[in-house]
Amino acid sequence: MSELPAKTRLRFLPSGSALHKFSAMMTLLLLIVAFSFTSPAFLTVNNGMTVLLQTAVIGLLAIGLTMVIITGGIDLSVGSVLALSGVIAGLVIKAGVPVLPAMALGVVTGAICGMVNGLVITKMRITPFVATLGMMMIARGLALQLTGAAPISRLGEAFGNLGNGSFFRIVEIQANGFPRVIFPGIPYPAVLLLVMALLGAFILTRRQIGRHIYSVGSNEEAARLSGVNVHRTKIWAYTASGALAGLAGMVLMSRLMTVQPNEGVMYELDAIAAAVIGGASLMGGVGSISGSMIGAFIIGVLRNGLNMAGTSAFIQQIIIGIVVIGAVYIDQIRNRN
Amino acid sequence: MLDTARTSAPLVEMVGIHKRFGGIHAVEDVSIDLYPGEVVGVLGHNGAGKSCLMRILSGAMTATDGQIRVNGAEVTMATPQEAKIHGIETIYQTLALANHLDAAANLFLGRELKTRFGNLDDARMYAEAKDALRQLNPNFKNLKDPVAQLSGGQRQVIAIARAIYFQAKILIMDEPTAALGPSETAMVADLIRRLQADGIGIFLISHDMQDVFDLCDRVMVMNKGRDVGTFKIQDVNKDDILSLIIKGTLPDDWTPRSERN
Ligand SMILES: Nc1ncnc2c1ncn2[C@@H]1O[C@H](COP(=O)(O)OP(=O)(O)OP(=O)(O)O)[C@@H](O)[C@H]1O
Ligand SMILES: [Mg+2]
Repeated sequence: MSELPAKTRLRFLPSGSALHKFSAMMTLLLLIVAFSFTSPAFLTVNNGMTVLLQTAVIGLLAIGLTMVIITGGIDLSVGSVLALSGVIAGLVIKAGVPVLPAMALGVVTGAICGMVNGLVITKMRITPFVATLGMMMIARGLALQLTGAAPISRLGEAFGNLGNGSFFRIVEIQANGFPRVIFPGIPYPAVLLLVMALLGAFILTRRQIGRHIYSVGSNEEAARLSGVNVHRTKIWAYTASGALAGLAGMVLMSRLMTVQPNEGVMYELDAIAAAVIGGASLMGGVGSISGSMIGAFIIGVLRNGLNMAGTSAFIQQIIIGIVVIGAVYIDQIRNRN
Repeated sequence: MLDTARTSAPLVEMVGIHKRFGGIHAVEDVSIDLYPGEVVGVLGHNGAGKSCLMRILSGAMTATDGQIRVNGAEVTMATPQEAKIHGIETIYQTLALANHLDAAANLFLGRELKTRFGNLDDARMYAEAKDALRQLNPNFKNLKDPVAQLSGGQRQVIAIARAIYFQAKILIMDEPTAALGPSETAMVADLIRRLQADGIGIFLISHDMQDVFDLCDRVMVMNKGRDVGTFKIQDVNKDDILSLIIKGTLPDDWTPRSERN
């Protein structure tokens, strides 16, 4: 009599990673509720779209980092690669190339940087931390050198579309002739993030390369002995991370309407934090895109909400730092049980 | 030494294999062959070089020197994939399982079943894994748990199931029953006899003398990286083998047992 309910209850208890995702989701909701009280303008459609827009860049980086972190690696170069990709796109637009192919070239630049990371890590056997630290400096240096550290502006209307455009934007022309925004629309970057997150999750869970990414992070030697091409798998993950950094660069520079070779400093840390808050383990083998997206939004909402509440940027850093440590600590406690 | 009844050609010949790690000579000039339907025991003290020799054959490690022939043709074994192509499957002493993945994902790791669209066919892999595991352990549960959460014996069963699922011609078993209970061990012994009857050649590493005498047709004893003797199992007894393992030599008064009396 007493055994049956216990068994059914056990069935309903979520497994480790699901539990982590659930608590992260609760944290996110809690933050939203709390900020709604502290600043009335927080829970508005307009601000919601702003958060989406601001989170898109970190979210895109976090997708790539999640894959890299699951292999047991790390990618410190994404912030700099983002800038270099923007610079390349900006320079070729200045040279007369249309926006779309220029942006494609920007993404390819990111992918190449990522592939170099992967090759250095696998073929030269340099640890991911050192290899991507090197790439972080090289890409930033290249971006600054190519532009003389000066921003590239006047890139044309079309360059701003990706970062500033939106779907379903509803604008009404008022009696006085001024437009009034009824619905700000869903920003392109947010849609892009959703598409890339779904694609990333699909690859990780439904495709062979995704399975191999988990296996390499879980037990690299076992993966090798089972016939997994470990080098190819790692190179794939770093290339994807680089390409996503390139894409994030396009979104960010497009939103600013200028190419800033100084942009994206320390973005890698936000992206790593997002993945870790979302349950990814730096030891490898564990992590999910959905978790990392929740993590990215926790950081995005924290930043936005603290801003609106008038908290200084310095205090924000402190709070986010505490959140990262707290998230990992809670995970540790749970794993010990 | 060659059995007159043996008409077929050897499945594998390893000739003059050396493996050095810096100054350590883990395997020194070892030669061994394996015929279809034969179980060859590879014995020796801890650190004798048994695993190294077998890892060279399974492509997990490259030899410093020596040749490997499969069905008479010289081959390279640079990667585990190459060995698998030649029909060599291995149960590693370390089991080689990815802890965060479940039993089915481990069983098919590197050789995943896919749907028409190239996606992972988890349903089919799960069903096949369930069948394969139930053959070895009828009450195998927790198929969907990460293997880190399984017992040592359950993990070993997964490693064994993986090696036989892909229809090996040559099977390397590096202490396959170390973590198994008595009934599972008996099941593995049955399995070995069944595979043997199907003409599969098996290298068996074991420290259990009972298993060795029950299952092996021949034994090779290694001592400090060297082959100190290969014998038909009828020609030696337990004391002879222990003497070879420990001292590296046979007892002074030794003659082949089958030729006595
Ligand atoms: N990767 C390695 N690097 C350096 N030395 C190694 C390596 N692998 C094995 N050795 C050495 O090679 C020797 C043989 O090891 P091996 O694993 O083959 O022993 P074994 O006969 O399988 O022993 P056991 O019965 O304990 O499994 C040991 O001295 C070991 O220290
Ligand atoms: Mg061994």
